[in-house]
Amino acid sequence: MSQSSFKLAVEDLGKDYPGTVALDGVSVGFAPGEVHALIGKNGAGKSTLVKILAGSVTPSRGRILCDGAPVALRSPQDAFDYGIAMVYQELSLVPGLTVAENILLGRTPKRRGLIDWTATYARAEEVLARLGVAIDVRARTGDLGVAQQQIVEIAKAMSFDPAVLILDEPTSALATHETEQLFRVVKGLAAAGVAIIYISHRLQELHSIADRVTVLRDGHHIGTVAMRDTSIAEIVQMMFGEVAQQERPDDLQPGANPVLEVKGLSRGDAFTDVSFALYEGEILGIAGMLGAGRTELLRALFGADACDRGQVLVQGQRVAAPTPPKMKAQGLAFTPENRKEEALIQAHSIRANMCLASMGRIARRGYITRVEEQAVVDALVTQLEIKVADTEAPVSALSGGNQQKVVLGNWLGNRPRVILFDEPTRGVDVQAKQQIFEAMWDLSRQGIASLFVSTELEELVEVCHRILIMREGQIEGQVRPGEISADELALRCMGTARNA
Amino acid sequence: MRERLLAWVKRSIMEIILFVLCAILAFEAEGFFSVDNLLNVLRNVSMQGIIAFGMTMVIISGEIDLSVGSAVAFAGCLTAYLTQHLAGAGLAIELAVPTAMLAALLVGLSVGALSGFIRVRFGVPTFIITLAWMTVLTGSAQLITGGFPLTPFPEWYNFLGGGYLLGVPFPALVFALVFLTTHFLMGYTTLGRSIYAVGGNAEAARLSGIEVGKIKITVMAIVAFLAALAGIMQSAEIMSGAATTARGWELDVIAAVIIGGTSLMGGEGQIRGTLIGVVFLGILVNGMTLMNISEYWQLVVRGALILSAVLINRAHQ
Repeated sequence: MSQSSFKLAVEDLGKDYPGTVALDGVSVGFAPGEVHALIGKNGAGKSTLVKILAGSVTPSRGRILCDGAPVALRSPQDAFDYGIAMVYQELSLVPGLTVAENILLGRTPKRRGLIDWTATYARAEEVLARLGVAIDVRARTGDLGVAQQQIVEIAKAMSFDPAVLILDEPTSALATHETEQLFRVVKGLAAAGVAIIYISHRLQELHSIADRVTVLRDGHHIGTVAMRDTSIAEIVQMMFGEVAQQERPDDLQPGANPVLEVKGLSRGDAFTDVSFALYEGEILGIAGMLGAGRTELLRALFGADACDRGQVLVQGQRVAAPTPPKMKAQGLAFTPENRKEEALIQAHSIRANMCLASMGRIARRGYITRVEEQAVVDALVTQLEIKVADTEAPVSALSGGNQQKVVLGNWLGNRPRVILFDEPTRGVDVQAKQQIFEAMWDLSRQGIASLFVSTELEELVEVCHRILIMREGQIEGQVRPGEISADELALRCMGTARNA
Repeated sequence: MRERLLAWVKRSIMEIILFVLCAILAFEAEGFFSVDNLLNVLRNVSMQGIIAFGMTMVIISGEIDLSVGSAVAFAGCLTAYLTQHLAGAGLAIELAVPTAMLAALLVGLSVGALSGFIRVRFGVPTFIITLAWMTVLTGSAQLITGGFPLTPFPEWYNFLGGGYLLGVPFPALVFALVFLTTHFLMGYTTLGRSIYAVGGNAEAARLSGIEVGKIKITVMAIVAFLAALAGIMQSAEIMSGAATTARGWELDVIAAVIIGGTSLMGGEGQIRGTLIGVVFLGILVNGMTLMNISEYWQLVVRGALILSAVLINRAHQ
């Protein structure tokens, strides 16, 4: 494809944030009528790139070309004026309004100051007809399924007649048959000459939707390939690159006694018939794609959500109807995926946050003083190397890595036997990441077991004794880190063999 | 040095404003700065103040109770009603009164616990639940009194609302006791820490193994219990159970809590701050009355000062 045939292109694009380079030397073009997938691990720079294209982030270097001419996109409005529309991952629809109102939000046709409903419905129907879908424009948007809402969201963007449509993980919340419906709409738009930029984590779907794929890694442009000339294995290789494998210390030996046993655990359509055992001092990873049911499994083990069937045994004793207080009393600890919303009280002090789970242990008959708390907190701050000047400062003032250590410290004060880690390294810098791993290894030496869920498969391979593979709510098998590389693990999580 | 002074001013802004107000009144309002008058202020604020401490706990936990005014009236009427009937059934008045009081306290406690239970079990906001209680309790008070104040109380009952112990009004002593108890609860117990945690982030508290439901039920029960306690003392002061007393108290109580720096969003606040808020409102009313400012102007000034106090608090946070 020649440079001039691109509707939108970037040349040598870069973006620096204080301390990090989010994007560097990216040159890629998007042609009318193509579905162009953007692929990369978390933090690879996909979001930065599309945010620049949507005008919400200003690049530090490089050029953006629209129809071959350099343009400046200083605001979302600028991008809009050049015909670039973006559909974000989080739906921005008003659930209480009709489909038609949502599609034409703020632009409903009016007659004598009142909404002209006939015209509103007609315009909305026209937009949906162009997408080739039949959705009742009079329906309440909140009553629709997620896939249909996603299509309404696209219809809303398409009602502006954009030449470029950016879709940020549109299928992340969809079931398989819903995905097919969405794909038909996307392909129809491409056939009508729209350039589509498509971000996805689901590599399996690339063959059925994308014409070309651009892979980013650590902010660099690794390559752009035509889908028909490549394989998923090759793309995974591009995503992960050659990783220097770090070694787990070899003095870590899991014990022979299981501390946590799970038998036939099922919960709705989140996960089915999950069984495994976790041994003293063992670090057991759970690998899987987004939506495989890993977070749901951890939450259920901690009693945060109820299960339909199955048993959870702690040290051989069955725990009936687990709840968080019950599981805490059994020696379980849980660091949730969304640190900010589910683990920390942002406005409260670091000290208060580190005594949330353990205050019952620190207090004597319900009586607790700052002096007693401070002693516990100071010990944990030293142990976990939390960088903090004053433990009375609000926890929100800490960096992501230090916040995560506060969450871990909160539980360590309660002397747990098993810690359930859900994405403990998300939004955490490299050094803090390493410190969290070292903390896990230290816990292992003390006989404390960890169940470790992470989307970063290299981490699992680096840190764990054993890794369970979870796919579509089921445990598909287990591997030992020495036997497998991160990209092979990624393929197994997707359910694709090496040479498929 | 300057920074530390500034930090101190920020932290103690309401105390400073209260001090300035007292200083102005000491010069401008004749008779303000006398022991008798100050004790009088204390007595006047003590009943609402008792409830305000409970309300502080409720608001910190992220909930609200709009029914405390009606709960005061209802508790007074129930005590009067039960006293009348128990005495009528032949029970000695010395036994009838305490039995009636105990029953009123228990009923109050149960109403609060029920609100908390409905909140936890069905997820209905306490704003709605207690709004409903507000009319139910006012209606019930009217029903049991038949619309007229009941006056079955013996002379000595007045001590609970109007009496003095060691020269201090009895309600003021209860007020002090409730202050110390709630201050201790919120500052030095796991219950208090849990209340802050639940109000700060209920999900984080739940996932830290804190029993969020129990905490909410407990705070709702505490404030309702304290409202019933205030209701009994109020009925002792006026020597009758009247359904029309304490109308609108919930607003004064909430105003005192907010002036004291507690956040309506939950998770932040201090019992000590509420003490300042309660005393501030009491002194304001007392000072303006001494200065012969008309009732109408008092309402306007009070509203304006409540808003200003909250704005000042906000600006310094």
